[in-house]
Amino acid sequence: MADYIAGGVPERLVPRTTEARNAGEAKVLAGRRRGPSVAFWGMAMIVASEVTLFGTFIGTYYYLRFNTPHWPPVGTPEPRVVVPLVMVGILATTSLPMQLAARAARRGGLWAARLFLLWALVIQCGYLVYEIHDYVDQLRRSVPQDNAYSSIYYTLLGADHAHVAIGILLVVWLLWKLARGLTMYRLNAVQVVAFYWHAVNLLTLVVIGVLLSATL
Amino acid sequence: MWQSRPGVLGWVMTTDHKRIGLLYFWTTLVLFGAGGAEALIIRTQLIQPNQHVVGPSTYDQLFTMHGITMIFFFIIPMTTGAFGNYLLPLMLGARDMAFPRMNALSFWIFLGSGIFIYTSLFLGIAPNAGWFDYVPLANAKFDPGHAIDFYCLGIIFNGISSSLTAANFIVTILKMRAPGMSFNRMPLFCFAFLAASWGLLFALPSLTADTIFLFLDRNVGTHFFDVAKGGSTLLWQHLFWIFGHPEVYILIVPAFGIATEIIPAFTQRRVVAFPLVAVAELLVVFIGFGVWAHHMFATGMPTVTVVFFAAATAVVVIPSTIQVFAWCMTFVTGNARFKTPLLFIAGFIFMFVAGGLTGIMFLAVPFDQQVTDTYFVIAHFHYIIFGAAVFPIFGGMYFWFPKVTGKLYFELPGQISFWLIFLGTNLLFFPMHIVGLEGMPRRNYTYPSGLGWGPENLAETIGSYITTVGIVVLLANLLVSYFRGLPAGPDPWHGATLEWTIPSPPPEYNFAVIPKVSSAYANWDYADREEDRRKLAEGVMVLEQGHEQPVSSPVDGWWAEIVEMPHDSPWPILLAVAMSIVFVLLLLHLWMGFCFALAGILLVLLGWHGEEPQEREA
Repeated sequence: MADYIAGGVPERLVPRTTEARNAGEAKVLAGRRRGPSVAFWGMAMIVASEVTLFGTFIGTYYYLRFNTPHWPPVGTPEPRVVVPLVMVGILATTSLPMQLAARAARRGGLWAARLFLLWALVIQCGYLVYEIHDYVDQLRRSVPQDNAYSSIYYTLLGADHAHVAIGILLVVWLLWKLARGLTMYRLNAVQVVAFYWHAVNLLTLVVIGVLLSATL
Repeated sequence: MWQSRPGVLGWVMTTDHKRIGLLYFWTTLVLFGAGGAEALIIRTQLIQPNQHVVGPSTYDQLFTMHGITMIFFFIIPMTTGAFGNYLLPLMLGARDMAFPRMNALSFWIFLGSGIFIYTSLFLGIAPNAGWFDYVPLANAKFDPGHAIDFYCLGIIFNGISSSLTAANFIVTILKMRAPGMSFNRMPLFCFAFLAASWGLLFALPSLTADTIFLFLDRNVGTHFFDVAKGGSTLLWQHLFWIFGHPEVYILIVPAFGIATEIIPAFTQRRVVAFPLVAVAELLVVFIGFGVWAHHMFATGMPTVTVVFFAAATAVVVIPSTIQVFAWCMTFVTGNARFKTPLLFIAGFIFMFVAGGLTGIMFLAVPFDQQVTDTYFVIAHFHYIIFGAAVFPIFGGMYFWFPKVTGKLYFELPGQISFWLIFLGTNLLFFPMHIVGLEGMPRRNYTYPSGLGWGPENLAETIGSYITTVGIVVLLANLLVSYFRGLPAGPDPWHGATLEWTIPSPPPEYNFAVIPKVSSAYANWDYADREEDRRKLAEGVMVLEQGHEQPVSSPVDGWWAEIVEMPHDSPWPILLAVAMSIVFVLLLLHLWMGFCFALAGILLVLLGWHGEEPQEREA
């Protein structure tokens, strides 16, 4: 009997992808499969949900702003502009090594993938450490209990930092996984986490932009 | 092929979408019983003026828990969790969901959140500010204690479960269809669940944000809803209804999906205007995101806003009506056999039109302001939620009972249960229109005599008892049929979709051979089914190397890859337990323990991802 081709490809040519056990096999099978992995679609859904959550936070920010005569209210310090902008710019550059890591993994380059991830991780950790320090520092001048402005300011910023922290945990986990070689499962993971980081970097840019809009 | 692990452990660790669907079914049925009992106490309290079956504070808890239970713990998990889980992969020709372990996680989180929120009722401190929980009533100042904290955390917790389910469904529908099932060959049921899942995914974050703000306001001292400090009480309502209105469609669109499966099976006719119905199912959810403020016409919003939302509300009628006409024309032009499932669908169409007509009345703003917070609103949304969402659930229980159990139900008690439920609900909800127009306010635990509301309320209470009897007959029928029913065979109805091509109950792997699909009514394509049998005999397309599953491209349904799926796993339930602990610690303000529990979650996640597909035994 003829091969089954209703789906456009004969069955025997369809790659059995998750069975790839080493970098070479993963590279070959990744080249033969069609479209992004299922894991990628799953992450896209989670990111869609998270982006909507941040959309709601940002909507709340502006809703409160347009109902308040002075923004930030009198007595509450304005957010600093230059340092957060520089920091978020530095964080945004980590999209480059994350994408390069995904690309290297896709081509079977295990060491390159590890190094790119490490490069990203160093910057991401530096960013988070500084930002936590800065968050605590700001809490000395105003607290979320002051007024609605402070409430949404700290909630939005804190939610963003939480997402950066989760991303860092994911990169650490990836490096730990890659220490034992590259498989298709880990290749999917690198691509998915890179996508997550692009989303987080974009979110951080938007969140900082929104928070700094109070100084305009 | 593979087998499930036997015994209780097999159910606890299961990742089989059919078992998870059944777990959802039983759990939501228990919660439906709880919500129903609350409703019966409410109706008994209102049977005549000046009753004192329960006091006002208990009454507040009862109607709040009734709303929360029926919406978050019965209809959503029953349609998406039970029906969606069990049937979607079967209709798509898939062997499992896209993320089987995440699917199990959804169920265990759902169970955890149900236990969490019902603990409050047993402690006598259940949420008591209504299911939409308006501030400032729900603020710490007016509602001290833990009642509203249970609400906030329970809703967030339950929302995680629903979001995961929605993400899982969308990816399953986009990626796990049998190769060859392009979008235009997908059953309408799956379109409906795709629409509902998109709705859940984009609507829930708004409610999550809202309940996070309220929890922070109550427990940390922020000022989101505190007008004195620059907050806004209307903010709660906006965020709540940005979720709340899409939620209505999330509740009824799966019911539309069930209807679009039952109607072709019992009329032996393809649904009229297939593409229009498919698009209408998606559109109704999409437009549903733009109408939320019609719940807030009485809050004094600017006229231009009110008029915009009234107009948007009128637009949403169009896709709903397209579907009603398509169903009716399928009835008229087909050969309708009025078995119990189809009776429930006929009842559903009647109730949906009746509830829809009162719904349109609300977009007349002066009328809306007149009847806001009266029983007229209660009548409207119970016609929609009971009539339009729950009737198809009952119909679907009968319809798929032979598939799930392999037994036929008894037809005569089935028809009796339909008429009891149909007459009971109309007697229960129709008089509410009248007392509503006469000004009877909702949420008051009693009413004085002499206002002329007594006879209607008596009729409503009698209706609620009749409905209960009907539901008991329904469940008893199914229970007896399970033990005494005749064997059903794979296809008792000559149904249209792929689930009827396989044995009843379906084997663990669903499809021994990956089915060929060339239309949305695959079971009626006899040549394709013949080809499947031939392929099974020749061993083509059986994919028997372990737990294998083909993955397709999202639109065309072309082969993308073959992947190895996870088998039974202890991690989902462990993760759900860890998350339950986190929420309990948050409720009790044990911040240190909260941090430890978060670390526990990370450890469980590490274990979860420790095993890779290529390391598993086949």
